[in-house]
Amino acid sequence: MLRTLRPFTLPLLSLAVVLASTDAGLVGQVRSRDGEWSTYGGDLASRRYRPFDQINRDNFKDLEVAWRFKTDALGPRPEFNFQSTPLMVNGVLYTTAGTRRAVVALDAATGEMLWMHREDEGKRGEAAPRKLSGRGLAYWTDGREERIVYVTPGYQMVALDAKTGRKVAGFGRQGVVDLKLEMDQTIDLETGEVGLHAAPIISGNVIVVGAAHLPGGVPRSRNHEKGYIRGYDARTGKRLWIFHTLPQKGEVGNDTWLQDSWTYTGNVGVWAQMTIDEELGMLYMPVELPTGDYYGGHRPGNGLFGESLVAIDLKTGRRKWHYQLVHHGIWDFDIPCAPILADITVNGRAIKAVIQPTKQSWLYVFDRVTGQPVWPIEERPVPKGDVPGEWYAPTQPFVTKPAPYDLQGVSIDDLIDFTPELRAEAVTLVSRYKIGPLFTPPPVSTFEGPRGLIMVPSSTGGANWPGGSLDPETNILYIYSFRQPSIIGMITDPSRSDMNFINGQARDPNAPPPAPAAAPAAAGEGGGPALTVQGLPLLKPPYGSITATDLNRGEIVWQVAHGETPDAVRNHPALKGLSIPRTGRAGGRIGTLVTKTLVIAGEPGFFTMPSGQRGAMLRAYDKATGAEVGAVPMPAPQTGSPMTYMLNGRQYLAVPISGAGYSGELVVFRAPQAATTTSSR
Amino acid sequence: MVRIFAIACLGVWVAAATAVLSGQEPRSVWDGVYTAEQAKRGEALYGQHCAACHGATLLGAEAAPALTGFEFGGNWNGLTLGDLYERIRTSMPSDDPGKVTGQQKVDIIAYMLRVGAFPAGTTELPRDQPLLTQIKYLATKP
Repeated sequence: MLRTLRPFTLPLLSLAVVLASTDAGLVGQVRSRDGEWSTYGGDLASRRYRPFDQINRDNFKDLEVAWRFKTDALGPRPEFNFQSTPLMVNGVLYTTAGTRRAVVALDAATGEMLWMHREDEGKRGEAAPRKLSGRGLAYWTDGREERIVYVTPGYQMVALDAKTGRKVAGFGRQGVVDLKLEMDQTIDLETGEVGLHAAPIISGNVIVVGAAHLPGGVPRSRNHEKGYIRGYDARTGKRLWIFHTLPQKGEVGNDTWLQDSWTYTGNVGVWAQMTIDEELGMLYMPVELPTGDYYGGHRPGNGLFGESLVAIDLKTGRRKWHYQLVHHGIWDFDIPCAPILADITVNGRAIKAVIQPTKQSWLYVFDRVTGQPVWPIEERPVPKGDVPGEWYAPTQPFVTKPAPYDLQGVSIDDLIDFTPELRAEAVTLVSRYKIGPLFTPPPVSTFEGPRGLIMVPSSTGGANWPGGSLDPETNILYIYSFRQPSIIGMITDPSRSDMNFINGQARDPNAPPPAPAAAPAAAGEGGGPALTVQGLPLLKPPYGSITATDLNRGEIVWQVAHGETPDAVRNHPALKGLSIPRTGRAGGRIGTLVTKTLVIAGEPGFFTMPSGQRGAMLRAYDKATGAEVGAVPMPAPQTGSPMTYMLNGRQYLAVPISGAGYSGELVVFRAPQAATTTSSR
Repeated sequence: MVRIFAIACLGVWVAAATAVLSGQEPRSVWDGVYTAEQAKRGEALYGQHCAACHGATLLGAEAAPALTGFEFGGNWNGLTLGDLYERIRTSMPSDDPGKVTGQQKVDIIAYMLRVGAFPAGTTELPRDQPLLTQIKYLATKP
């Protein structure tokens, strides 16, 4: 029995199968490599693309729910931020899930659990900087053995037999490699602040593992763990190479760290997904910034390879080329997502390109063989700030083409203007802050003003970890971005950090201090105000968008607001009688999926759906025009990126959802039965 | 069937009677449901237990969502402080939800309300979950 998804009409407590499928029992009998999704990004080029068209503009609105999988029991408590993208290989769907970051293998046709693996890491897991279900896992096979490889919250790499879920005895130590070892530094095995959300990436017999840390707005210390990147033998778990993203003495880039700041500075990891060109044997690494997201006074210099795209040899780990996107970053513009590979043609010239989406809403496009920009990237002077001790880079790289896919910087013209009164209030609000174009430096926060920099894109984007999708048939790249300001101010607080400045906002000097806490790590900066005007967003819409960019021409083809207008806008008394086009919604990290004809993405955040129920829509757009061609309701927003697969002649679409008051669930749709008689793919 | 209907009627009657007896009007976060002193306590606790992931200004980071602002309001709009408390009670802080007491979590909610520019009042936000469930989170002033 199948039916379309109607929120709250289906049981919510089921652990595994909600709706049975007539395909049960056929797992493994029908194999189509083309129908699989065997690596996080759909392929090693991170394109998130499949040329299926059984789900199309004619039937999207009639999608059936094949099965649903609730993740509550996969850990000591439910998870509300389910970010994994599953894999599907040989009729089995694999995903990480739950607060324990368990691995489950599910029958891809029915959702029945085939096996589950969990690691109870005790205090090591509790102290992890990157907890919860993570972004996913990796699959490896030599044609005989099949393995699932993932990284636990406590930063251990585990290899599992894909058929049984048992640890592979010959890999590392009884199936486990301790990633806090062999990292060319001493890291406390329990409390050392390094971990990973991202899925490992595997090509041939090489597994590559990144490194992530806590957010760095208020680091405890300028001394920090370094986020080196390593390659491992997929068969044995033996370390093959290590790349010092923060170069040591004598290595390329070390001279960009003045005053020996490389010795104690940390971070510079790769917490995003990585990408591989198997033909070239090259790995592309999007690197984050060094310790201190908004203050770099303890790390003078441009600080390679911070916020750089780095290409290395996959087998040896040796650097091929690099390009620093932000010099001496003080805006937390970590490169957040996988670079995407495309073979483009620009002015008649064929180029093997790599495209890097960013928080700052630029697509940086390079020749992936040489590292040369496809279109000019110009070094332009940028203003210096006034934070004592800060070292300001005199110039920053500016992309000249393609145009940015979202707002960069803030001016009065960007503020809400639904009515003159709202605009006036917004102007008054921002007068207490510093605003300016991209690369405006954060100020020292004073209560009188400026209290901080209103930064757009915020430190979470623009775009963030889901990144984009690429259609290799047209070389059009699709990406969701959002428009949401953050406030960055610099304050001092020796009780919390040995950094001279950390992120925060000055308190009202006449207000009493916060009550003492049980431990000395009191807040002290007074928190930030909500940047809203009568409860409405400070900035003009669109709040969330999907943009299509033609990479052969370097031009935006279309752009649409993604997400229905928020309830608070639709129902706001100050906007009564106004006709406001769909605004899109912000606040989520939304991945897109491209198929033969569609771009598919769920909405971020909740709203009141046409049925009157609380939830979010999964939407499909004509990939050529951006016209919406269908939508189906979901009980919660998309929080992991969608993927698709073909099984037994039928196209499936898996969407991880969760959100405020709704714990993680994998919802798997499939093409309506009628579609299978008209499409044989 | 008749028996089920009778039980349902009894349930409705009990709920109505409880509401009348408690004398509680429906309230929202706009009705001064926490005190400034409580938010002050919550501020210190937030810095200690929450800021590392959710950011010093409650605006979120890669690994954790914002706890203030328009999008947070949109996500929780129409739910209750009981729902919000339950979410925090069962899952936060993510390393060990048990290390922050129920009272402390309510104080942190009070701080979130202050940052969200909801007015303070003269009575503290109660620790009692059924009472929290009677307070609606409304993103915009009714």
